[in-house]
Amino acid sequence: MLVRLKGAVVYDPMHGIDGRRMDLFIRDGIMVPAPRRDTRIDHTYDVRDRIVMAGAIDIHTHIGGGKVNIARALLPEDHMPYAVQGSPILRAGSGHAVPTSFITGYRYAEMGYTACFEPAMLPANARHAHAEMADVPIVDTGAYALLGNDDFLLRLLAGKTGQKVINDYVAWIVNATHAHGVKVVNPGGISAFKFNQRDLDLDVRHEHYGVSPRRILKALARAVHELGICHPLHVHGCNLGVPGNAETTLKTIAAVEGLPLHLTHVQFHSYGREGDRGFSSAAARIAEAVNSNPNISIDVGQVMFGQTVTASGDTMLQYRGRRHAHPKKWVCMDIECDAGCGVVPFLYRDHNFVNALQWCVGLELFLQVRDPWRIFLTTDHPNGAPFTTYPRLIRLLMDRAFRAEMLDRIHPEARKSSILDSLDREYSLAEIAIMTRAAPARSLGLQTRGHLGRGAAADITVYEPNRNAERMFSKPALVFKDGVLVVRDGKVIQSTSGQVHATRPAYDRGIERVLKQYFDRYHTVSLGNFRIGSDELLGFGRSAISVHPCVPR
Amino acid sequence: MSDVTFELRRQPETWLDLSALTPDKLHGHTLTAIKAIRLRCGRRAGNVGDLFQVSGDDPLSLRFVDACRSFVRLGHGMTRGRIRVNGHAGHYLGQDMRGGQITVRGSAGNWLGAGMSGGSIEISGDAGDFIGAAVAGAMHGMTGGNIVVGGNAGKRAADRMRRGTILVLGDAGDFAGSRMIAGTLLILGLARTGVGYGMRRGTIVLGRMPAHVPVTFNDCGRLKMEFLRLLFKQTADSRKRFGYFREFGPEARRFAGDIAAGGQGEILVLLNASRRRSA
Repeated sequence: MLVRLKGAVVYDPMHGIDGRRMDLFIRDGIMVPAPRRDTRIDHTYDVRDRIVMAGAIDIHTHIGGGKVNIARALLPEDHMPYAVQGSPILRAGSGHAVPTSFITGYRYAEMGYTACFEPAMLPANARHAHAEMADVPIVDTGAYALLGNDDFLLRLLAGKTGQKVINDYVAWIVNATHAHGVKVVNPGGISAFKFNQRDLDLDVRHEHYGVSPRRILKALARAVHELGICHPLHVHGCNLGVPGNAETTLKTIAAVEGLPLHLTHVQFHSYGREGDRGFSSAAARIAEAVNSNPNISIDVGQVMFGQTVTASGDTMLQYRGRRHAHPKKWVCMDIECDAGCGVVPFLYRDHNFVNALQWCVGLELFLQVRDPWRIFLTTDHPNGAPFTTYPRLIRLLMDRAFRAEMLDRIHPEARKSSILDSLDREYSLAEIAIMTRAAPARSLGLQTRGHLGRGAAADITVYEPNRNAERMFSKPALVFKDGVLVVRDGKVIQSTSGQVHATRPAYDRGIERVLKQYFDRYHTVSLGNFRIGSDELLGFGRSAISVHPCVPR
Repeated sequence: MSDVTFELRRQPETWLDLSALTPDKLHGHTLTAIKAIRLRCGRRAGNVGDLFQVSGDDPLSLRFVDACRSFVRLGHGMTRGRIRVNGHAGHYLGQDMRGGQITVRGSAGNWLGAGMSGGSIEISGDAGDFIGAAVAGAMHGMTGGNIVVGGNAGKRAADRMRRGTILVLGDAGDFAGSRMIAGTLLILGLARTGVGYGMRRGTIVLGRMPAHVPVTFNDCGRLKMEFLRLLFKQTADSRKRFGYFREFGPEARRFAGDIAAGGQGEILVLLNASRRRSA
C-alpha cells in the first residue's frame, strides 16, 4: 500500500531539510522516494502547509520497572482524580505524574512521540521492566541496564580485574536483559549507602570495596566504548541536587579522558554555592564545558512547576530528600545485589527560591549549549515534571516573550540571581526537530528512526502551525507509527504495539562460568532464569525486537 | 419543590459510578440536563436518563429509591445539600465528602466516608470495611464530620482517622481504630481482635469489654471522665432516638496506647452503658 502526504512542510535535520515543501511517500510502513508518475497511490493525506517531522524520541523517561509501580502505589491522589474511561479501542487507566502504562503510551503518542527509553532498568528487575513497557502502547521502547552499584562489578574493580573481564560482564548483562545501553546512577553511591555512607564524591573511596566513583565511571565508559554500544555511557553523576555539585560534574567530564559520555538530567548537577542562600546557578560553566568537549552530550531534566513525584535508583539522594516529600510520604528500598530505589513525591513551587532557581538553571542550560545535536529535551519524567509538560517547555524555548512572562512570576530572588533575563536565544523549529528527533536517534544509533529519508520507519508527526508552540506541540493533527495512523487531532484513534530496541555486544562466554558461581551463591534467581529469552520478551506483547549493531573499538 | 428522585430502570450489570450526581454538581440543572449526564458503568458509559427514571425539581435534595450494591462513589466530594437512599448504597459512599448530609435506610459497602472532612452520614443498617478510613496509600482517613452506623461495621473502621466522630451502634470487625491519628470512634457493641492497633492518638469508646485488648495498651484503671458526659449529651441532643445516651454514666476503664506507636491514644470501656439498638 502506497500512501502520500501531500504538500508537507518538512523538517528533517538528518537530511538537512529545513522547512521545505514536499510530498512524502510511505509504502508498507517504510518511507520511500517519490514513485514514478504513473504509480497508483492508494491514499493521500492532504497536509498542505502543515509542519511535518519524524516521530519524537524521548531519550530519558521513567516509564517502566519497579520504581514507577511503587510511585503509583504510593500516590492514590495521583490517580483517583485522573481516571480515564476505556473505550472499545483504548484501555482505561489513570494518573497524572505517573500514569498507568496504557495512558503513558496514549499521552506520548498524542504529543507526537513514537519512541521512549527507560533509563534505569535494574538487571534484577529487567523482566518486570520489559513486561511493563510492553504494556505501553504505540511507542517503541528500550532500556538502559543500570550498572555501577552492583556487587559483582564492585568486586571486580576491588580485585583489580582487567578491563577485558569487565567488558565481558557488561556485554553479558546487556544481552541477558535486552538493554539498549548502559547507565550508571551515582556510581558506587547507592552501594555505599548500604554501608552507611551518606555521601560519596567523585574521589572518595567506597568504605567496603575501596573503589572510587571515578574508577567505576572510567571502567564503564571504557567498556561501553570498547564494546561498541552506540549510546555512550548514560551517567547520573554523584551529588545530585547538592549545592556546589557543578564542581563534581566538571570533574566527571574530565574524568573520562575524552571517551564519549552522556550526562543525564544535568540541571540537577549544575548548582553553585554562591549568594546569601548558598545556592546558585552554575549552568554557564557546565554549558561552556559541554560546548568545548565534543565527546559529551547531555539531557536537561528541566523542572516545571507543579505536583510530581521523584523516582530514582539513587537511594542516597532520595533519603537526603525525604524531608521535602509532598505529600508527606516516601519509600526507600534495597534491590538485591544490584542497587536501590527511592520514591519521594515532590511539589515544585514557583514561589520557592530553590525550585524557581532550578527552573532557571534548566533553561539556562538549554539556551547556552550551542549544539542542539548534543542536548536533548527531557524533564527526567517524572522527576522534574511529568512528560505531558513538554509542549510548554518547547514554548519556553521558542518564545522569548513567554519566557519573560513566566520569569516575572517566579521568586524574585531567584530571578535576580539568574542570567535568564539576558539570554535572548529562541529555538527554531529546525533546532527543536534536532533535539527531539534527529539527535536522540543518532545518539541511540537508531538508523531507521528520527528522520524521514528513504528506508526510515514511517514514524511521522504532522503539526498544525501555530504561533503558540505549546498549542502546536500538544495537539498534532496526525501521528503515524510505522505507517499506521494512530492519532488524529491530538486524540488516539488506534492503538498499536511498538518494538523493543536492544543491542547485542559480543562477549567471551567464559564469563558465564564465573557468573554462575556468583549467582548460585548470592542471587535470588539462577543464571539461567535471570536471562530473558527473546521469545519470552516478545511474549510480553511487543511487535518485534529491533537489534542495533555494535562496532567494537 | 420536590426531591429529585432517581429510580433504577434495571439493575446495572457492573459497578455504576455516581460521583457525578451530587447536590452541588446538579444545582442549577434542569431535569433534562440531569438526564443527559454521562455516568461510568464498568467499561461503558450511559446517560442518567437511560439508567434511572428521574423526577422532581430540587437538585439540592436527592433521593435514590431501590439503590443497589453496584453503586459506587455516591455523594463523592459533596459540600452541601442532602442525599437520601433506600437500599444498599454501595462502596465509597460519601468519600471525600466536605459537607451536607447523607441518610441511608439500608446498608452501605466498604470505605463509607473514607477521607471525608465534613458533613454527616447516617445509615440504619450495616456498613462494610474501612469506614471513615484512609484509602490505600492515603496518609489519613476521615478528617472531620460525623458517621453513624445503626448496625454493625466491618473491619478496620476508622483506620488512620484524623478528626471527626464515628458512632457504631452495633459491633465492629477486627482492628477497629487501627492506626488512628486522632478523632473519636464510639462502638456500643463488641469490638473484635486488634482494637486500637497502632493508634497514635484519639479515643475509642467501647460499650462492652472486648475479649482482649492488645498487649501494647496499659490498663489505667477506672476513671470518671467528664468529657464522656459531654459526648453523650451531645449525641443525645443530636437525634431524638439517641435520647438514651443521657443515661450513660461517665465512668470508664481506660487503656492507654498503642504504646508501640507513641501511646497517646486511649480505649475507654464504659462501665454502665445499656446497649439498646434503636433499629
